[in-house]
Amino acid sequence: MTMASSVRPASRQAVPPAPAGPKQRRGTRTTVLAVPALAWYLIFMVGPMAAIFVIAALHWPGMLQPTSFAGLDNFRVLSDDPVFWQAVRNTGVQLIIALPVMIVCAYMVGYYVAQKPPGHRVIRYLLFVPGLISTPAKAMVFYAALSPDGLLNGALKSAGLGSLSDAWLANPDTALYCLIALDIWAGIGFTAVLFAARLDSVPEEIGEAAQLDGAGHWRAMWRIQFPVIKEYVGVVAMLQFLWTLFGSAQQVLLLTQGGPANSSTTLSFLVYEKAFMESDLGYSQAVGVVLFLAGLAGLLAIRRAFRQSY
Amino acid sequence: MATTQLRKSAPGKPRFRKSWLPAHMLVWAYAVLLAIPLYYFLASAFKSNEAIFSSPLSPPTSFGFGNFRTAFESAGLGSAIVNSGLVTVFSLALTLGLAIPAAFGLARSRGRVASLVEKVFSLGFLIPTFAALFPTFLLSAVTGLFHTRLFMVLFLPATAMPLSVVILIQFMRTIPQEMEEAARIDGASTFGVLRHIYTPMCMPGIATVLLLNFLTFWNEYLYSLIIIGPDPDLRTVQVALPTLKSQIGTDYGVLTAGTILTLVPVWIMYTLLQRRMQQALVSGAVKM
Repeated sequence: MTMASSVRPASRQAVPPAPAGPKQRRGTRTTVLAVPALAWYLIFMVGPMAAIFVIAALHWPGMLQPTSFAGLDNFRVLSDDPVFWQAVRNTGVQLIIALPVMIVCAYMVGYYVAQKPPGHRVIRYLLFVPGLISTPAKAMVFYAALSPDGLLNGALKSAGLGSLSDAWLANPDTALYCLIALDIWAGIGFTAVLFAARLDSVPEEIGEAAQLDGAGHWRAMWRIQFPVIKEYVGVVAMLQFLWTLFGSAQQVLLLTQGGPANSSTTLSFLVYEKAFMESDLGYSQAVGVVLFLAGLAGLLAIRRAFRQSY
Repeated sequence: MATTQLRKSAPGKPRFRKSWLPAHMLVWAYAVLLAIPLYYFLASAFKSNEAIFSSPLSPPTSFGFGNFRTAFESAGLGSAIVNSGLVTVFSLALTLGLAIPAAFGLARSRGRVASLVEKVFSLGFLIPTFAALFPTFLLSAVTGLFHTRLFMVLFLPATAMPLSVVILIQFMRTIPQEMEEAARIDGASTFGVLRHIYTPMCMPGIATVLLLNFLTFWNEYLYSLIIIGPDPDLRTVQVALPTLKSQIGTDYGVLTAGTILTLVPVWIMYTLLQRRMQQALVSGAVKM
């Protein structure tokens, strides 16, 4: 925005200065054109978002039940609930594994593709595929791959490793990791495309100079190119963080329903479960508030970690 | 930067030396990991359960469309595709109808209110829509639009507004003011300027916004599930698809065939507009 306004005056020099005054006034009046869009956005997005905080302060044991003010009661119930802490732990494990693996691998794959090795067009096409597929479709891919009769067990059997086969999604030890694998599987490819596109716009001289200097590709990748796009990596990490934190409800709902024995219940699924399966609405939105604050804290932390350092 | 530390090296080295071998192998391994499930899906769509279990990766022996027909009928995918299409098309139209004038108004004015409104829109990226699922459901109940496609058509454009407005503003700012002045001299009104100058010149931006939102709207799941609900006459493809998975013995051939059917529209778009689609997604994420 500041860019645009500092560029403008230069192009205006060609025009006689007289119309500048009335034009500016007219310009201000066109802000009115943004009112419908703004209203729409406030009613359907900002309003419901604010309502979370109100509902979190209510006793509301079901859609048609009367409500009463609860203050911080819901949060007190929350902090005594082992299921909530299990969900906190699961979400933590999910973020701690998925985010670093995804960002590091995606950056390396993106760097590889941006160097335009032989066959990079085919790879680019394939990498993008997870970005196109809806969550239910991705979940169905994993369902078909991981169910007892699925692709993975079939492959293990034909490789003579039948003893390793498992009901991956129904085993409390593996259910959460299956969901994490789904995130990583889909996330790397799509994120790599984002990184490759950003690296494409880094001036080529930087890479060439590094090569002349005799920097190996490992050095060129991490020491030279990475700092240049560090801020962008941070933005993508923030996006992935939000998608993982809030989006996991869909995968959990589609694949494990939080089970077995809450082993794969994440915070965002808990919001869904309490609201739509157990009708404990105040509790549900209290978790929503926690989730919102966690999201905010995470965003700030990531922003800080990836701040441009030169 | 690091380029200042000069070191001598043999010039004219091939770019992808032997040391790239591990990289080639790892990236291709991941590419295969992406490709195998796709192949598995495509092959399974033409097979029966027994054939899928006994040899998951062998190519199908016949190419009958039985599984597709079963998926179409048992999950009601036909009406689901129509529903998804209706929701997507009307939401896209409404999104453009709201976002284009808004971006136009904000891009042209330099007042304090305008820049505040622009900031409010760009803060919208930080709102995780999912978190507000239950309050949105309440809103649909209060307005009497619960279990209707109409509410989704009203709701989806709101979620698309921040990104669409911000992207369109960027495009509109690149249009030289002289164009507008020339049109004004010819007697064009504000709407005339918007219609005859800004909209045609922003076509690349509008296409970006359309593609980006097409993907999000077509692929939307959780809100459609809660608000439109499971009624076979109203539900969208993404809601219909998981019903093909059953607790007692899923027919994988039908499941994979159904999944492929929901991907067809996206696939056609992607293959036709590959380059533009990637650009769209990239610019969508950059502006966050």
